[in-house]
Amino acid sequence: MLHDLFSFVRGPMVWIAFTVFTVGSLYRLISMWRLAKKKDSVIFNYFSIFFAIRSIGHWILPFAGVNMRKHPAMTVVAFLFHGCLFAVPIFLSAHVILFKESWNISWWWMPDMAADIMAMIVIGCCLFFLGRRIFLKEVRYLTSVSDYLILAAVAVPFISGVWAYHQWAAFQAALVIHIVSGEIMLMIIPFTKLSHMLFAPFTRGYMGSEFGGVRNSKDW
Amino acid sequence: MKKNKILLYTVVFSFFLLIRIFSAVSQEDIETVDDSAFKKLTRPPVSFFHDEHNENANIDECNVCHHMFEDGEKLEYDDSIGMECSACHYSEPRETEADLIRSYHLQCSGCHLKQKTGPVMCGECHRKK
Repeated sequence: MLHDLFSFVRGPMVWIAFTVFTVGSLYRLISMWRLAKKKDSVIFNYFSIFFAIRSIGHWILPFAGVNMRKHPAMTVVAFLFHGCLFAVPIFLSAHVILFKESWNISWWWMPDMAADIMAMIVIGCCLFFLGRRIFLKEVRYLTSVSDYLILAAVAVPFISGVWAYHQWAAFQAALVIHIVSGEIMLMIIPFTKLSHMLFAPFTRGYMGSEFGGVRNSKDW
Repeated sequence: MKKNKILLYTVVFSFFLLIRIFSAVSQEDIETVDDSAFKKLTRPPVSFFHDEHNENANIDECNVCHHMFEDGEKLEYDDSIGMECSACHYSEPRETEADLIRSYHLQCSGCHLKQKTGPVMCGECHRKK
């Protein structure tokens, strides 16, 4: 039973997840592009690659903007979170080996100890974000149920991954949960707030263009 | 006072020596999958009971696992008993440890997936102590 489930989630389900993610992302980017052309064509007139990159450059460096200096804890957590969130799944030995097994391609992987610590950092950061949504009233005001669900969608793959890695009780079930929840996270990226992964460069880039090219001011 | 200390050390030392001896005896039939080409192990070594496995899996021919290939064809009446997997599967300069790991994984969990039985998840073979 677990055997069949495992071969499904590590086989066909991976293809489904990556297809939904890729096609969904393209669909969202193209439809947003069209919507902007129709309703907000002014952004195409003022968009400037130079000011866009200048703004993105400032927002991609920790503490390079005023707002980041005003909220040091949030800044540290946000950068740690995003760094580990991408580095662990891509450079985890077990993941690289699965690619090697299936497609015969491989790349550098980090020591398991490092991945373990970084995964726990991601979980810790999720707890920080959860606390922030619960206890900061300006954040709570903007929080809906879906925000908690999205946070859970990101946390569960890491919690179950650490669980399976350490082979705690019922780790086989934890591994199946790990794979399924990872696939769900991938599939919901284009259709939830997680789509900031796709749109952030454009929104930031346009802000930079307007502030830099029109108002002659900084936006960081 | 000094005598007591020596006695204590002797008792403690003997105790650990006994544990060591007993554990060595009880693990006599345990074999681990081992390949000298792996310099530093990423995951814990895999326990493998050769005879028990083949009895359960109904494997009579050695070269079901200890296979030998020539020009991409499996030789029906030849085998690779006594050779390490790395002799072939990690023998070319462009190959890395990942290639050897791949061969092991496809040999073990690949067959288990096909047969729909046997361990297939990371931690089922690479058990932490």
